[in-house]
Amino acid sequence: MSLINTIFIVDDDPIHQQIAKIMIERQAISSNIRVFSDAQDVLDLLRENAGEAQALPDLILLDLNMPIMDGWEFLEEYAVFQAQLPKQIRIFVLTSSIDEKDRERVNAYNFVTGYLTKPLSKEIIAHLS
Amino acid sequence: MNVVMLEQHYSHLQHLETAINAFALSVTIDAAGAVTAVNTQVIAALQPSDGPFTGCPFTALFRPAHPEHWQNLWKTLTEGKPVQEQLCFLINAADTQLWLEAGITPFFSETGAFTHCMLIGIDITERKLTEIKRARNEVYYGQVLENLPLGLQQFSPDGDNMDMNSRQRQIWGKHHAFFTQPDYKWLKDPFYRLNGLAGMFEEARKTGKTIKKEILLSYREKHHENITRLYPVYFEATIFPLTDQQRNMDNIFLILDDITEKKLSELSLQKSERLLDNIIENLPIGYIQFDNFGFIRRINQTQRFFFNSPHPVSRQPFNVMNDELATMFELDKLFVQALEQNKLLRVEKRIDFSQDKRWTTVDREVYLDLTVFPVIEPVDKEMIVVALVNDITDKKLQELEIKKNQEFLQQTGTIGKIGGWELDVDSGQVRWTDQSYHIHDCPVDTRIDLEKALGYYTPEARESIEGLMRQCIETGKPFDAQLTIISSKQQVKRVRSIGQPGYENGRMVRMYGVVQDITEQLEIRDALTRNTELMRLFFDTIDMGYAAMEKSGNLNFLNRKAEKMIGHPVAMGNNIFEEFPRLSGTVFYARLQECIQQQASQSFGIYFPGVDKWYDFLLTPMQDGGISVFMRDITDSRKLQKELRKANEQLSNLNKNLLNQNKQLEDFAHITSHNLRAPIANLKALMQMHNEAAAQQERDLYLGMVHEVIKKIDETLNDLVEVVQIRKDVNVEKEKLLFAERLQKVRDVLLVDIETSNIQITYDFDDEPVIEYPRVYLDSILQNFITNAIRYRSSERTPALHLRSWKENDNIILSVEDNGVGIDMERFGNKLFGFRKTFHKNKDAKGIGLFITKTQVEAMGGNIRAESHPGEGTKFIITFRSE
Repeated sequence: MSLINTIFIVDDDPIHQQIAKIMIERQAISSNIRVFSDAQDVLDLLRENAGEAQALPDLILLDLNMPIMDGWEFLEEYAVFQAQLPKQIRIFVLTSSIDEKDRERVNAYNFVTGYLTKPLSKEIIAHLS
Repeated sequence: MNVVMLEQHYSHLQHLETAINAFALSVTIDAAGAVTAVNTQVIAALQPSDGPFTGCPFTALFRPAHPEHWQNLWKTLTEGKPVQEQLCFLINAADTQLWLEAGITPFFSETGAFTHCMLIGIDITERKLTEIKRARNEVYYGQVLENLPLGLQQFSPDGDNMDMNSRQRQIWGKHHAFFTQPDYKWLKDPFYRLNGLAGMFEEARKTGKTIKKEILLSYREKHHENITRLYPVYFEATIFPLTDQQRNMDNIFLILDDITEKKLSELSLQKSERLLDNIIENLPIGYIQFDNFGFIRRINQTQRFFFNSPHPVSRQPFNVMNDELATMFELDKLFVQALEQNKLLRVEKRIDFSQDKRWTTVDREVYLDLTVFPVIEPVDKEMIVVALVNDITDKKLQELEIKKNQEFLQQTGTIGKIGGWELDVDSGQVRWTDQSYHIHDCPVDTRIDLEKALGYYTPEARESIEGLMRQCIETGKPFDAQLTIISSKQQVKRVRSIGQPGYENGRMVRMYGVVQDITEQLEIRDALTRNTELMRLFFDTIDMGYAAMEKSGNLNFLNRKAEKMIGHPVAMGNNIFEEFPRLSGTVFYARLQECIQQQASQSFGIYFPGVDKWYDFLLTPMQDGGISVFMRDITDSRKLQKELRKANEQLSNLNKNLLNQNKQLEDFAHITSHNLRAPIANLKALMQMHNEAAAQQERDLYLGMVHEVIKKIDETLNDLVEVVQIRKDVNVEKEKLLFAERLQKVRDVLLVDIETSNIQITYDFDDEPVIEYPRVYLDSILQNFITNAIRYRSSERTPALHLRSWKENDNIILSVEDNGVGIDMERFGNKLFGFRKTFHKNKDAKGIGLFITKTQVEAMGGNIRAESHPGEGTKFIITFRSE
């Protein structure tokens, strides 16, 4: 099990934010976990630090169903500049949707590492690292 | 000799010595050649060497420039003869020349032996060296002048020849009077008076100025095959006087420079230029010369005539690069192309001068054969462009005419199967065109005489054609008859033979005419007659009215069905509008005109209310310009159709409802999946975490979170229940409601919020004040819009909301417009009415209000949409469906 430097949790549900943070901390796979309620904030952060590999996360857990900017919009915008980033960020979609259409749609983004359905579990977290 | 005399003598000698020492070198040399005494001048001359000089050999101090000469001289001295001459010595280490005007006197002993000599010399080095230099220069310049490639001759002011160089001698020739007649006065020689040379001399003498002219000096003879030709020899003569220091005329010089070659080539150039000029001017084709900017520099006579211009100078400045007509016919392009590609271009242009009177008054279309090429102008070395313009209009028109005629002949010959023939009455020879051969199935160019030609006709036909021809010969009467021939391939053909007489000097010499194969024509005519019958039969059998008519509406053909539809028998040639008066006032006339103008079929239906009949019409333009009219009684099918459409509509509505319900079901499934799965997943995770937690404190934390989740699930379920209730409740009771009254009720409920936010609510329900609708729904809808307008008001202005109702297509429309923060419709339009969809960071937002509103509107068959611009406000438009 290798350590992941920085993990971003992107989810508008405060309960799930807490659950995910606690679970990942317990598994101790990362020392730096940051939580975002608005995907737009993440996108801005990535764009601003596009030149600095250090400031970028190594993994993003992305919810799909969010207000303002949802996961789909995030993926759409991220696709435009992801190739120019100094390192490859592993992105996992973490959603409560079990709709096959959603899974297929996510699979179309080849830079997305995996499609995970809630709830988060120890097994899933182990799989991340 | 007394002492006084001696003293006087001595004093005299001293003076003499002082005088000598003052300006002359004095050296005493003994018999052995050694120096015994020198004076100060010698010491000064020999510097920087310093003495003592006495005892030195004289020739070591003064090295003779010519040692042999010195030896001879020394010998002369020893013999007792004094020497007086200019001597050159080399002195110093640098061998500096020292010239002395020297006097050397030898002295002898009483025994007569040579004892010594004394040299007294005046330094003349400076004068001598200048002299030597001048002498050298004279030789040099003399040589240069002698060998100049120009003739140079020196005359006295009287004109007497004094000297000349070799070139000049060569120019005059050794037999010239200058060399053969001692008293030759060339200024009086009539030849030089005539050619101007004598005049030049006199002018130079008179004015003192340099005179330069080209003169013909002589003729040169050239022999070639027993013919002697004389060629003029031209020179450029320059005569100039030289004056001495007193400004007296010393000499007069003549310089002659042979310019024959130059002069001849110049003359020949001028001659050929004149010739070329002449040729260009008189060319039978137009010549236009342009400079490289496109301005016309020169136009020849032909072109001037074409331009109808007396002289190019009188023309306005024309630039091919800047002229409408030139641009229109791409003459500017041609000009540039010729310049750029640096090659000759030849094109045919058709230029229409009928609209342009500036350049020419030909006032018609002109075909021009243009040859355009760039040339380097020989004198100015500038690039110019020459255009040769050949008016080939006549030729071209003739060509076109011939081509047209040929084509016409060819066409008529081939299409009409018409051949030509000609009979030479005297010789009986017959000439056929190719088509005549084809008609007779006879190889082209087979020799044909009258007998052979007549041989193709059947016996009866031959009899009649012979008769006709005889008549033509006797009376000159032309003939035109339809006859039968049997061709070389044994084909029976029907031909039309036409002939007429041709006269020469009043005598009939030939007969000519045409022969036309009309076999097919006759067959076609037969077939046509048969076809017409068939057509009539065909049109009578079809279950459709058919009429063929002229554009005017005059009928040419009518089938039985059509007559039946019109209601009475119709005579051909009558007008359809008279025979079928019910058509008047219908669209028939208008559509007929469209059919004629657009040459396209027109299909339309007309209902005749008097007889309650629907007729379908199809008008089709025919090739011969007429119109085909198809008509069908569709009354029965029309009625059926109407019923069918009604059934279809019902089906379609049913389908729509089903689709709608399906959509709602799908939406609902989606809602449940998304909005219930998420909290349940949270519950699952929390339970797992709770079970694994070691500390009680941690377990309490998870339990607290579980409660929150359950609360949220409860809220969601309540919302869903409300929605389901609305959807289920399609038959909720409706009542007549006044918009204004309901709005007031809602305002009362929301009084606090309205006052706090200071929202200005206005309305205009004048157009449609009443609606029949479930009261709860309308109240809910209004409340939701007001709440939204307050919640999403803009901090930059006083919030305002305006409601308006009106009717559109039987439906009542309600618009609700606020001036709030607005919505980015492009981004959030599809989420706007979604369940638990929010797109504002407002924490009050639950994403349920608009979903409920939409559900309430749609449950009653209406719809809702929104228009918005971020920062400006939002407008919701609700269509309440009429019953």
